[in-house]
Amino acid sequence: MKAITRLTLLVCLLAAVCFAAVSPDKPQPGEELARSSETTGHYGGHVTIGGRAEPKTLNPVMATDAVSREVTGRLMADLIDINRATQQTEPALAKSWKISPDGRTFTLQLRKGIRFSDGHPFDADDVVFTFAVYMDEKVDAPQRDLLIIDGKPITVTKEDRYTVRFALPRPYASAERLFDGLAMLPKHLLEKPFHDGKFAEAWSLNTAPSDIAGLGAFRLKQYVPGQKVVLERNPYYWKVDRENARLPYLDELVFLFVGTEDSQVMRFESGDTDLISRLSSDNFTLLHREHDRTHAQLVDLGASLEYNFLLFNQNDLGAKKLDAVSQKQKWFRDLKFRQAVSAAIDRESIVRLVYGTRGSALWGNVGPGNKFWINNSLPHPARSLETSRQLLKSAGFSWNKSNALMDPAGQVVEFSIITSSSNTQRMKMATLIQDDLSQLGMQVHVVPLEFRALIDRVFQSFDYEAAVMGLGGGDADPNPEMNVWLSSGTSHLWHLNETAPATDWEREVDQLMQQQMVTLDYAKRKKLYDRVQELVSQQLPFIFLATPNALAAANPRVGNFHPAVLEPNTLWNADELYIRNATETAGAR
Amino acid sequence: MKFLLRRLIRAVLLMAGVSVLCFLFTEMAPGSFFDEMRLNPQISPETIASLRLRYGLDQPLVTRYLHWVKGAVHADFGYSIAYNSPVAPLLWERAKNTLLLTTVGMAFTWALSLPIGIWSASRHDRLLDRVVNAGTSLLISIPEVVIGLTLLAIVVRWRILPVGGIHSLESDGLSRGARVLDTVRHLVLPVTALVLLETSIIVRHVRTSVVEALQHPAIDAARGFGIPRLRLLWRHVLPLAASPVISLFGFSLAGLISGSLLVEVICGWPGLGPLILDATLSRDLSVVIGGTMLSAVFMVAGNLVADLMLLASDPRIRIEEADAH
Amino acid sequence: MRTRTRALIAVAIGLHLILLFAGSIAPSDPAAQSRRLPYAPPNRLHFRGADGWNVRPFVYRMVPGPDGYEEDRTQQFPLHFLVRGPAYQILGLVRSEWHLFGVDEPGQIALFGTDGFGRDEFSRVLYGGQISVAAGIAATLIALCAGTVVGLLAGFYGRWIDESLMAGSELFLSLPWLYFLLGVRAFLPLHLSPVRTFFLLTGVIGVIGWARPARLVRGIVLSVRSRNFVLAAQGFGASDIYIIRRHILPEVFAVLLTQAALLVPRYIAAEVTLSFFGLGVSEPVSSWGNMLSALQQYSVLVSYGWLLAPIGALVITSVIYALLAETLHSHLEFHST
Repeated sequence: MKAITRLTLLVCLLAAVCFAAVSPDKPQPGEELARSSETTGHYGGHVTIGGRAEPKTLNPVMATDAVSREVTGRLMADLIDINRATQQTEPALAKSWKISPDGRTFTLQLRKGIRFSDGHPFDADDVVFTFAVYMDEKVDAPQRDLLIIDGKPITVTKEDRYTVRFALPRPYASAERLFDGLAMLPKHLLEKPFHDGKFAEAWSLNTAPSDIAGLGAFRLKQYVPGQKVVLERNPYYWKVDRENARLPYLDELVFLFVGTEDSQVMRFESGDTDLISRLSSDNFTLLHREHDRTHAQLVDLGASLEYNFLLFNQNDLGAKKLDAVSQKQKWFRDLKFRQAVSAAIDRESIVRLVYGTRGSALWGNVGPGNKFWINNSLPHPARSLETSRQLLKSAGFSWNKSNALMDPAGQVVEFSIITSSSNTQRMKMATLIQDDLSQLGMQVHVVPLEFRALIDRVFQSFDYEAAVMGLGGGDADPNPEMNVWLSSGTSHLWHLNETAPATDWEREVDQLMQQQMVTLDYAKRKKLYDRVQELVSQQLPFIFLATPNALAAANPRVGNFHPAVLEPNTLWNADELYIRNATETAGAR
Repeated sequence: MKFLLRRLIRAVLLMAGVSVLCFLFTEMAPGSFFDEMRLNPQISPETIASLRLRYGLDQPLVTRYLHWVKGAVHADFGYSIAYNSPVAPLLWERAKNTLLLTTVGMAFTWALSLPIGIWSASRHDRLLDRVVNAGTSLLISIPEVVIGLTLLAIVVRWRILPVGGIHSLESDGLSRGARVLDTVRHLVLPVTALVLLETSIIVRHVRTSVVEALQHPAIDAARGFGIPRLRLLWRHVLPLAASPVISLFGFSLAGLISGSLLVEVICGWPGLGPLILDATLSRDLSVVIGGTMLSAVFMVAGNLVADLMLLASDPRIRIEEADAH
Repeated sequence: MRTRTRALIAVAIGLHLILLFAGSIAPSDPAAQSRRLPYAPPNRLHFRGADGWNVRPFVYRMVPGPDGYEEDRTQQFPLHFLVRGPAYQILGLVRSEWHLFGVDEPGQIALFGTDGFGRDEFSRVLYGGQISVAAGIAATLIALCAGTVVGLLAGFYGRWIDESLMAGSELFLSLPWLYFLLGVRAFLPLHLSPVRTFFLLTGVIGVIGWARPARLVRGIVLSVRSRNFVLAAQGFGASDIYIIRRHILPEVFAVLLTQAALLVPRYIAAEVTLSFFGLGVSEPVSSWGNMLSALQQYSVLVSYGWLLAPIGALVITSVIYALLAETLHSHLEFHST
């Protein structure tokens, strides 16, 4: 054969090898695989998703920012998963588990025969190692706080090769939800850096793909700095579809660093990316208008779990010299003042103008998006300036000649609302509130601050009067919100650093929250949490405003697209996504 | 020689000054890198505090500065908290992209500005000149952000060019030629934005200096001697007009790293701009300081080169310098 | 003076008068929200209605329709001139209620449409012009004054001061301004009224911009200083102040005037850029900058074209100033030498 022909053949062969997708390993006997109940798809193709920024690391323990967690979440798997669609737990790497009657011991059975993405077998040793890393004080994992209940850590012991026992210091409601998101780490790769004390530097973005292994549906293929991260199929993934074909269907999953949400929408429209999660309502409406051309799959999931609120500064300012603020706190601490403000706010306009009607007004911290925990008996009073005026009058406020509101001491009511300048929705809410309150004679200034400056004032210096902020969105269960409602909690934003509950109702909330944390029965927990919601919506530590709908979009060729309200909204079932062929796409329209 | 030495010393002092002020400035903006975690009710303040301790964020300013200087001398420019990697390679990776954009932009800018400026000046006050003048005034007064956004909207609306990034997704499989073409297509949008912005400024300056040179008595004399127009322009007018234009060229060089920040952010070009902006907003101090120092280096070097070129080209300055000593 | 120059100066004065009397020309209060009419397109002026041709133009109300907004043809709202409307103040001193034109309630006339809160864009452009142009002028004054002082010092007192001042300006230009600006905003007390924010804004722009005028003035000082008559005057015992006042300032003045006309539109543009970073005048006061920063959102940029009105206003203002600068330049050059 001529040299040229041989060379060409060689090159073609190499190309075929390089560019061929990794094919899934056939299901082996002895492997205990999970079965998906989704529509069957077929193999091939890639899905591109736009990211707001670059991931900062591929180390699941050190990843704190949203983008890094999105990427590591696809590379890793956990023992028990929360199915984002049903919001209930389901077996993942642990095929079954038993809870002791006192609720303090979990015994998990791991699936047998499972391998990491590099082929190395997975067993209880990896689980014990993983939790040792999470609990290690020198590693400083954020997840460590989750695993310490009442100041005492959860302990992990290996019973046999595929059985692990977790002991909780005391019963903890929905403890199984804790396991979601706790990625199982490969002992064979990470043990050495851990023992050398270099765990934090392990699996940075520059790590070679062969040094990273996980149990997720995908493994790392390539990282191009500043541009993209490419993941390829994990040939040993432990899930199969209904016809026993090993998942995932996709050959590749590409994370493209696109930037702001607007850039994401632009790239999506031009076909560069296939999925967008957490769309704002403005962009959703825009895509909706273009629907006839693009035939994009647009999904409005209804109310999300985020809650936005107006917060008044009720912190103790004793030591700090913030006289201007502390003078105004006598208004902020007056329940009638807060009730008057709440009654004057035009929530309907907020939903219409800020969320383009794709949202819901809120009068409590749990909105209609949280079907399992919402207290439906809470009142939803309509906007009434008359009610506000009556409340203010009964609290001793009055109006002067130029219709400005004055407090009982004769001081004109004037204050500022800070909000994050990068969040257009909250800025709009602040402007609407400013206009609403001006009708009561209050002079309100809207002060947009850069995000970190805002955090500094709210958490550190307490040098602010009111703020429009948002929380929530993590999980539907009340437990992650403990730190917001407990008087000693670190997210008890209106009154941080309380040594003891400042009011009776806060004391009651403390008791209720502590109780619900250890109550295992759902119905009983719901009653307790309902009472918490009732107190919160009556006492108004936050004046709740609205919640946006969860919106997502996908290219018409993406099959099994089932976005969810919980994060990661669109990629939680990345292992089940597939690329439709032309007939399927046409049929789906 | 003395001149060169003096300028070098000045450059070094300048860099030192920039580094000090940089640290001071970054101190001024409130908040720190780990603040975002405070919003997560599931992370305790103790974890945040020990993370701060680990990265030395609580050390006093002077200590941190001296630490940085010590590192800088050994070519270690600090550690990025966000990326968990040393700053220098991180910056260099992006700087390459920025330099690609700005050198292409600069080439086009000067290739366009010089002819337009000279031609416009030679037709001073006639229709062409008026049009050029009006056009450049207009472009200068429209803010960069607005020009960038408008171009972006046009490109997206009519889908003529890719938006953002250097390479398309499929570029790995393409041949070398096709890859270059792909990069070129991605370059068009940001380069156009840059060229529009910079050309307007440079055309005006070139035009002004040529106009002034044309009015110089020496040119009148040369014209009186009957020297033909083109030769007049080339051999007599341009050398006179050269000095301010050369210093402008130096400014262009100086701005190779820093001049394209807004364009990169708006058009999604993965250069230093978005990196530094993101680092600024998330308080990743080492990256901000490293990036600023890098652009300061280019700025100082650019000015130095401009001064040297001036010295070489304009005999008047040489004599002036010699006289002064 | 040539007619063209006169016409130009008249136009420039006209522009500033329009902005000064923004309150009279604007039919609505710029902060008045019409929450039922967010992002409404501009009202069209009709002459022909159900009852045939009218001399007086009229508008229809905008009501939400299936595909955005549509005109409610059941009622015509004719345009009246010299009407009473929302109260306003001219220069903060004279209070008045007279407006150039308007329509009766419950009609609303929005010649440039409405923004996301249903506020009249036309009124906001006019009021916003007051803030933006004033900011540009104020910042220019600050930059030129600071620059002149520095330039005089540098040019007059020679070598060391010159070197250090020029190096200082280089230093100035290399710094991370974004950080500084973020830091400045965070430092400010929360009680800054929009007025005080405005002054701060202009101060910041002006202070950052001193370098170029300084260089220019320095150049002039250097050239004038070496002229024979100045040397002669010094020989006669003239003090520095005398020389500055008598010989240098007149020359400087001419150049500064031209510079001023060039810088004003650039500083207006700087105000727009700063507003994009959230550092501009805050709600509900409008400036061209904070109106345009709403366009940062892609969905707004492509869907509601009428919100680009401030760009038109900005361009017109810039063109007028640029032509003014041209004229001043040739006029003064013609008269000097």
